[in-house]
Amino acid sequence: MRAKALAAASLVALALPASALAHANLLERTPNYGSRLAKSPPGISLQFDQGVDVFSNGIDVRSSTGKVVTAGPAHTADGGRVATVSLRKLPRGAYTIRWHVTSNEGHVLSGVYTFGVRVKPPPPTEAYGASGPTASEYIVKWGFFLGLALVVGGLVFRLLVLGTRVTPAVERRFYFVTGAGIVACTELGILGFMLTARDAFQLPLGRLIYGDLSPLAQGTRFGTAFIAMTLGFAVIAALLFLAWLTDRPAILWPALAVALVLGSGLSLSSHSAVEAGSSWRSETADWVHLTAACVWIGGLMQLAIVVWPLAPELRREAFLRFSKLAGALVGLMVVAGAYLAYERLPQASDLWQTHYGRILLVKSGIVALALSWGALHHFVVRPALERGRGTGSSVVSRSLLGESAVAIAILLVVAVLVDANPPPKPTQQPTRASAVKR
Amino acid sequence: MEPPAEVVHWMFGVGFLFLGLCLLAEAIVGRAVWRRRAWRAYLWPSVAFLMGILMWPVMVFYTSSAIHMLAHGAWAQTMMLAGMAQLGLVRGKLKNAAWELTVPFALLVSGFAFLIHEQNPWLFSRAAFLHHALGWTALAGGLICVGRAGRPRSPAFNAGFAFTIIVFAFLLFCDRNVAPIFGHLSPLAGGR
Repeated sequence: MRAKALAAASLVALALPASALAHANLLERTPNYGSRLAKSPPGISLQFDQGVDVFSNGIDVRSSTGKVVTAGPAHTADGGRVATVSLRKLPRGAYTIRWHVTSNEGHVLSGVYTFGVRVKPPPPTEAYGASGPTASEYIVKWGFFLGLALVVGGLVFRLLVLGTRVTPAVERRFYFVTGAGIVACTELGILGFMLTARDAFQLPLGRLIYGDLSPLAQGTRFGTAFIAMTLGFAVIAALLFLAWLTDRPAILWPALAVALVLGSGLSLSSHSAVEAGSSWRSETADWVHLTAACVWIGGLMQLAIVVWPLAPELRREAFLRFSKLAGALVGLMVVAGAYLAYERLPQASDLWQTHYGRILLVKSGIVALALSWGALHHFVVRPALERGRGTGSSVVSRSLLGESAVAIAILLVVAVLVDANPPPKPTQQPTRASAVKR
Repeated sequence: MEPPAEVVHWMFGVGFLFLGLCLLAEAIVGRAVWRRRAWRAYLWPSVAFLMGILMWPVMVFYTSSAIHMLAHGAWAQTMMLAGMAQLGLVRGKLKNAAWELTVPFALLVSGFAFLIHEQNPWLFSRAAFLHHALGWTALAGGLICVGRAGRPRSPAFNAGFAFTIIVFAFLLFCDRNVAPIFGHLSPLAGGR
């Protein structure tokens, strides 16, 4: 009897939310997001697939300085399916629309987008009033970079360092660690996208679930990178799985190629690409810097948590082979990083006088620590291993873990750095609609 | 630029129909006969895995509502997971029979995602009705698959699983973007 009552209660509980959650969908916006208009529009019109209610201030339109440019209260038309507001005659400039309407069940639907009158509007992430990034976004981005390092570095380590010399235990853990990197990148990528949407919408996540994310996903470089990386990680997951299933490591080569392309996607959506004066050289340098760092950190972790604890017979050879690769990677990182610093910081004093420069100094300090640690391995551990000593040493194991931890700390600073804006160059003309930054 | 949602649902309906017919054939002739040709054992798990991969583009290109996007992401991940686990079991890479539970897990998560992501009541429109029906079908199928994980050679559980997937395909083929259900369409959705 109790079981039946419980089952009935469960059915009712599951059925009820469905009837209590009805909400409308936005079909069309006039003007559309990202549009560049030749003249001032008479008003804003939002067409929904169901009737909605809108408060008088439910459609907020502001200039790039925050000035309200609506000419009256918002209201509905066409049986509540269209929410509209009139505009004053708009001068040349970028404008931000934030709208909130109430669906028939009481849920508040929201959206934010930008348009320009005779100018190209900024993306919604830089709409007037948009904020961020927050500490939680830095943490998510940190986890994302760590996942990317596990994937890219893991694949390079498996293909170039280990080659055919693997034991079943090493193979299993390699797939586990690299797979964990893919899962981390996928899940944290989605979470990062939602958090960025929260910053643009200026809404808590609970209210964002009814938010229209189309302008963010399809109208920004960040959204394009999100789409490309989500699809790319699905492909990498499939290839990694097939390599594991069929015992054919050759399938990992296309997975590595996709992973390297994803690194370029990050560079194309980062400040290297969006800052004025960026060039193919700065974007390429950014990609080289990021990829070399991922291979170095991911490879180091493979050495520390896969090979060293599971395969004593592989330690010496894996260490020596990775040591050679790490030397080249560090060289690439330093050269590309120095070039980017030279490009982004026009004056040496920018290093300590600007926010970006100070973060770069912190990063350089931690990188110097990691490089010193690496040099210790290179000049002390490597010769010992070459002489056939030290493969059983737990000190080396702990030392590798320590260097990995420092490398992971670098990624946290990188997560902060990629969201910081380099100091503007004298000729720059920013098109941001907002100067508000938390 | 994206195709209408109903077209995407029909395309996935094709995949589910193929998958369901494979499962039904296996349930009718028995696992031993079905697997006389080794490639047949890989057939339905491969289809499920592929459909999971193909769900990702749906997730990232249909972003008119955050909850809609997250629901499609859940389906993509659970279908991939279920397909991967089944392929691993068939191949012998996975030994623990508990991996069989990934199929009911996928169906139960998918069912809840359907019920939560459909924002309208049953008779609001045909799409709303189908989403509710799909959600409850997935939940029922999930329970059947829990039994199937315990008794993998049971014809009843295998047939139940196959019919769950065929019903899935049927419901997806019935989908239209704006259409009445049993002659009823909410005025809010355009009905009179």
